[in-house]
Amino acid sequence: MIFSSPYFLFLYFPVVLTLYYITPLRGRNLVLLIVNLIFYGWGEPVYVLIMFLSIAIDYSHGRIVTTCKAKGNDKGARMAVASSVVFNLLLLGFFKYWDFIVGSLSTLGLDLVTREEIRSAINAALANIGLKPLFQAGSSTLPIGISFYTFQTMSYTIDVYRGDARCQKNIVTFGTFVTLFPQLIAGPIIKYKDLDDQLEHRDHSFEKFASGVQRFTIGACKKVLLANALGPLWDVYLATPGEQLTTLGAWLGIVAFSLQLYFDFSGYSDMAIGLGRMLGFEFLENFNYPYISKSASEFWRRWHISLGSWFREYLYFPLGGSRVGKGRMVFNLLVVWAATGIWHGASWNFLLWGLYWFVWIGLEKLWLGRALDRAPVWLSHLYGVAVAIVGWAIFAVEDFAAMGPYLAAMFGFGAGALDTDFLYYFRNYLPILVIAVAAATPLGKNLWHRLPERARQIAFPVLMLAGLALTTAYLVDGTYNPFLYFRF
Amino acid sequence: MSKKYSTFITALFCLFIFGFGAAHFLLPDREFSEQENTNLTQFKAPTWKTVRSGEFMEKFEKYFNDQFPLRDQWVQLKAYSERALGKQENNKVYFGTDGGQTLFAHFTKIGHEELATRVGFVSKLGDNLDVPVYFSLVPDKSAVLASLLPTNAPNRDDGSTISLAAELCGDGVTYIDLRGALTSAGDFYRTDHHWTTQGAQRAWWKLMADMGRVQPEADMDGFSYQALSYVQVSDSFYGTTYSASGAGWVRPDSIYAVIPEGGTKGNVTVDRYPEGTPIPGGLYYPEKLEVKDKYAYFLGGNQPLCIIQNPDAQGGKLLVVRDSYADSLAPFLAEEFQEVHLFDLRYNNMSLKKYVADNEIDQVLVLYSANNFNTDQNLFKLGL
Repeated sequence: MIFSSPYFLFLYFPVVLTLYYITPLRGRNLVLLIVNLIFYGWGEPVYVLIMFLSIAIDYSHGRIVTTCKAKGNDKGARMAVASSVVFNLLLLGFFKYWDFIVGSLSTLGLDLVTREEIRSAINAALANIGLKPLFQAGSSTLPIGISFYTFQTMSYTIDVYRGDARCQKNIVTFGTFVTLFPQLIAGPIIKYKDLDDQLEHRDHSFEKFASGVQRFTIGACKKVLLANALGPLWDVYLATPGEQLTTLGAWLGIVAFSLQLYFDFSGYSDMAIGLGRMLGFEFLENFNYPYISKSASEFWRRWHISLGSWFREYLYFPLGGSRVGKGRMVFNLLVVWAATGIWHGASWNFLLWGLYWFVWIGLEKLWLGRALDRAPVWLSHLYGVAVAIVGWAIFAVEDFAAMGPYLAAMFGFGAGALDTDFLYYFRNYLPILVIAVAAATPLGKNLWHRLPERARQIAFPVLMLAGLALTTAYLVDGTYNPFLYFRF
Repeated sequence: MSKKYSTFITALFCLFIFGFGAAHFLLPDREFSEQENTNLTQFKAPTWKTVRSGEFMEKFEKYFNDQFPLRDQWVQLKAYSERALGKQENNKVYFGTDGGQTLFAHFTKIGHEELATRVGFVSKLGDNLDVPVYFSLVPDKSAVLASLLPTNAPNRDDGSTISLAAELCGDGVTYIDLRGALTSAGDFYRTDHHWTTQGAQRAWWKLMADMGRVQPEADMDGFSYQALSYVQVSDSFYGTTYSASGAGWVRPDSIYAVIPEGGTKGNVTVDRYPEGTPIPGGLYYPEKLEVKDKYAYFLGGNQPLCIIQNPDAQGGKLLVVRDSYADSLAPFLAEEFQEVHLFDLRYNNMSLKKYVADNEIDQVLVLYSANNFNTDQNLFKLGL
């Protein structure tokens, strides 16, 4: 299920709110666990089984780690952590990367079974013992949100071992954490230690609820009114054959994608944070105006913050981080950015995209960062946003045969500077682009806070209702409502 | 935020989501959407099987969206909002520069090779038959009324489909170019992709001239060929382009019927063949003027085969392989030919070669709108 759909907003969520608030405090985690599973199983019921498996394995590993530590058996505890990490990586590897690996190996002449073949083998085995098939033919193969919840549960056992998180003895509470629907399928990636106290006890107040409403409405507008509106423009240029791409057209397309992706993902995070608040939770921020960054390093402190911090804490620092020799640091960066790249999707272009960031961030750590500090502010801003946008071309054009011509067109080796199609699209999308660019900066927020309190109090409900009404209009109309982060 | 104010905001939000949620269940479900001209998804109770396979959820989503309270109004609100943001199109429909009163559906362009394949089916038909085969494409509204199209609109008919088709169809087929005949805004409905009765008449004139039925120098504008008068039968037609656009600001179109001077065509008989056996029909279906899809006023809507007979006419037997544009052309063709066979490849799998022989057809016209010719998946049947 996704938030930006009428049945979520007008059926699922009202029902969840009702059930949640009529249940006494003690039973609310159980209510959440049940509705979370419905939320998750809505699109692909059979994958609820993975959820159960994930909860059971990580819960028991947390218990084992704690028991071993209590007995002074450090080796046992470490083994348990390793086993949990291996399980989660296998889960992720099998569901997300298996076919990619099989496909890549087959070009080298190595043939392995594909996931579809494994699925039909399981179905056949079940049929042999008289059971119905478990998998539907042709159903989607990637369980949504798997990249997010495997990372969350992995961090749990690691943190329990490190002593950063308490072991959760109540399996319902733990299950609620693993499946928590606001952040289940698109983050933010929440570490158990950040949510521990809230799972046991959280405050519910009208103040918190209202601030959740505000945040949710902003997120919904970002996703539905900006991201979905810009999507068709990118679709046009993605579908344009390489030999017809003009320079300005290629830039218009990739700028549209850059904004679409940002508003899609950050809008989804905003909705998650808002929904969380309405249920008494407080999640950490996931975005902080990434396009105003003055460097590649800064961009990643502002973009998908929860992912960056996860990789820093559980991969980069354990490898030694930056407190090592230069050669080793470059190696550490390479590992982290290759992993970040491939996390975004099982395709070579995502790996390339990760390495692209490795190059820029590596250069910044070595000397470019100091040069940028001395450069005029506008130049660093231009650098920051240009690095991000060119990167998105590698990210968004998955087909290598199309990526080359797209990048070439961006840098002037296309079918001229512009054509009449560009003039049409530029003219049609200019207003929404201007709004989107402004919304990608803190400008609106600053202006809002300069308004007198009284004006804000009057304006807010009006804007909220207008935003919700327009969002509803676009959703109901919405044949065009793809959700970009389903692949990750 | 004070507690009181927060309570107010909370209440407002809950009122919105609970209110529309409740309205969804309290309001009766609709069977059919006039606006969208389509059947709406109905609720189907879940079973263990449909839940497990996900089928229930998929259907339920569709049901919930289809039956959403004020659905048509939401769709229109979105169109208004897009227009306010300076967009010149919504849901793949361009707003004309006449204040958005003329709507243009996106035209589907195809590559040279694919077009050549499609035209090849027509040439094949010409080779297969011993009778004269004429071929004609109706230029898209976006080509005829290009001046009303938003500047540089990419998905328009630039005329290349017709130029290429005329060039590629070969000597076995006579191409009839309608581009000179269709020129004015009145030749197409503003809210629909079809030509109007006037447009059909002008095309008819050109077709008859090129098929040798009338003298080319005869005066078309004076309608001197035969006295015909127009009768307005509806002033509230909203076509399919309108339905897709959500453009609530558009005025409806009028529909006209052509009645020959001296009364109705008493001698014309129409046989519909919805399933192989003839059912008596008519050129016009006034009851269709009461429903949304008023274009079905002409010949009653899609059908595999329709045979129009007029013993008083002088021409022979004409077979038209056609799309829905021929529906409103039919009354004119009936004036001229003793038998007009309207053959729709979308619903009819009979062999054309055999049909022509069995029915002693003496001329064939392949008539499609340029957009349908570029998109229809049944053209290969021409060559069978």
